[in-house]
Amino acid sequence: MTRTLTDKPVRMAPAAYLELLMNLTRREVKGRYSQSLFGAGWAIAQPLAMMAVFTLVFSRLAAMPSDGAPYPLFAFAALVPWFFFSNSVNSGTMSLITYRNIVTKTYFPREIVPLAQVGSRLVDLAAASGLFVLLMIYYQAEVGRWLALAPLFVLLLLLFTLGVTLATSALNVFYRDVNPVVQIGLQLWLYLTPVAYPLSAVSPQYRPLFLLNPLTGVIEGLRAVVVFNRAPDWQVVGISSAIILVLLVSSAILFKRFDKYFADVI
Amino acid sequence: MPIAIQLDRASKRYRTGRSRTVVDLIASSLNGLRGKADEVHSTSRGKISSTIHALKDVSFEVPEGAGLGIIGRNGAGKTTLLKLISRVTWPTSGKVRVAGHVVSLIELGAGFHPELTGRENVYLGAGLFGLTRKEIDRQFDAIVHFADVERLIDTPMKRYSSGLYARLGFAVAVHSRPDIVLVDEVLSVGDAAFRRRALEALRGLIADGKTVLFISHDMWNVRRLCSQILWMEEGTVRAHGPAGEIAERYMNEVNLQALANQETSLQSHRGGTGEVRFESVELLDQSMTPATTFTDADTLVVRGKYHAATPVARPVFQVAIVDVDTGVIVTTATSVRADIPATVSGAGTIEMRFGRLPLRPRQYVLRLSITDAHQLGSYDEIVAGPRFAVTGSGGGVDSLADEQDGLVSVPCEMRHTGAGATA
Repeated sequence: MTRTLTDKPVRMAPAAYLELLMNLTRREVKGRYSQSLFGAGWAIAQPLAMMAVFTLVFSRLAAMPSDGAPYPLFAFAALVPWFFFSNSVNSGTMSLITYRNIVTKTYFPREIVPLAQVGSRLVDLAAASGLFVLLMIYYQAEVGRWLALAPLFVLLLLLFTLGVTLATSALNVFYRDVNPVVQIGLQLWLYLTPVAYPLSAVSPQYRPLFLLNPLTGVIEGLRAVVVFNRAPDWQVVGISSAIILVLLVSSAILFKRFDKYFADVI
Repeated sequence: MPIAIQLDRASKRYRTGRSRTVVDLIASSLNGLRGKADEVHSTSRGKISSTIHALKDVSFEVPEGAGLGIIGRNGAGKTTLLKLISRVTWPTSGKVRVAGHVVSLIELGAGFHPELTGRENVYLGAGLFGLTRKEIDRQFDAIVHFADVERLIDTPMKRYSSGLYARLGFAVAVHSRPDIVLVDEVLSVGDAAFRRRALEALRGLIADGKTVLFISHDMWNVRRLCSQILWMEEGTVRAHGPAGEIAERYMNEVNLQALANQETSLQSHRGGTGEVRFESVELLDQSMTPATTFTDADTLVVRGKYHAATPVARPVFQVAIVDVDTGVIVTTATSVRADIPATVSGAGTIEMRFGRLPLRPRQYVLRLSITDAHQLGSYDEIVAGPRFAVTGSGGGVDSLADEQDGLVSVPCEMRHTGAGATA
């Protein structure tokens, strides 16, 4: 290896980068579920419990429409991606602070820390998806060719989650106010996203506002292909994808611009 | 010799004081509108945005394959320096240029997770230093062997002792194919055997052409490892040069400062039954004037004034020269002399004269005691008596000899007989 004097950060080999990300992800997952009897079962319990509450409150009491699908299936299909997003952002926002020990003591690409938080929630997502398959069998849901589009929406969900987490984790290093704002924001966001109800139930005058929320396109689209086996609303998906990409790029730039100062202010 | 590290007028400022709140932001922007400076002072809430200079215009170079010791008092900027070189933080102004792969041991095992096994943590920790799985696979056995944790490698690290934790952290770091290793005081953990092994490993790295920066307060270890020393003081370079010379200057200064601050009271750590007690202990040089600093060729006289409250038969006066780190070096007692009266009562004075002080230059503490004739019970015990320093300027003693090379220097004449030719 040639060694030249440089005042630029040294790039990590791509393989090493990826493996470090995997290792930190594994550390997160193991740290979260070790010494617990139910283990990764908790990943399923959260959306399952919420599904039960939603079914009782929205479907039984408020007679919320679900476009003809069994309401529990309808709600669960949206709660799984929702909890992936909200749990990732939740722990991701504090992640650089939680990892201050290594952030202030060793040099490595800092974005790996929030990325690992998101990565670790992919395990929860996979577990909850497994349960979703069982629910589909139980409700004898129709499975068709549109299901093949599901990975596209999972990808959009992942990119959006990364975009939000990168931004909130970096900002939270400088202003800890970010964390409580995020906590409150996430609680409200759940109800402003078509999770408990379909987008079709939103009155037309508010629809444009809902389209500004990229999770609308992701969750509605995912539900269309896995629960209803029909084409997603491509216009909605298009708007959401555009917002997601712009957000992700700007978050990444923001993060890289500020990561030099993390160790000084944590 | 190619340069491994180059600092060019590097400065680092930190903001101190309490952090900004929304109220401050509004206040400062209002001040800004009125054309005032961006400083907000409020007596009741404390000043904000004051800065401290952790480093000021630091410039130096380290050639590849060198061992550089970094010394200085706490807060002198040593750790900040290592953080700049490791890219954990960036200079406020100036340049920090580094060639090659840097591995920092600012804290051993910082990346480890207690819930993971030793094996998993090796991969995690080495990964933080930029190694791929394949590279770690190759080094794995060496790491485990070095840390001596074969038995526990598949146990979660929360079951490890702190020494073991540090050992594995160190092992991972030195096996991460570094070009530059930054070590910050980490050798103070772990047992003596591990410290020796760690020092050997660092020496091995230097021998292999790696560059090692070593922060330590232990001058022997610095001397053992480093050919050059950088002496930091208040964020600037006080001196940079050959290790022997800088270390000696540093030790002399530290010793003198410590002596200037020493308390004269003998009351701390006082023991004994009290029939006879020292009233004062004085250190004198050969001209019988009080002194605290001696060269190794000087005479040290310890003069203790005592008072016996009741008549005491055959007391034994004992003086020990203690090195704080390594323990008692010399003990001498009056039982081996004959000039002590069979019974002492009232006031008296005992003088003990050390003709030379063939000791390494550093600080020593006197331990004094008065015991009964069989040295079974003690009347008085001063565990931390007066301190004195030996400086290396007397000549004749390798002033910073290795701990392993012995604690004292005994004069020795050498002769050689046999065949041969003079060059």
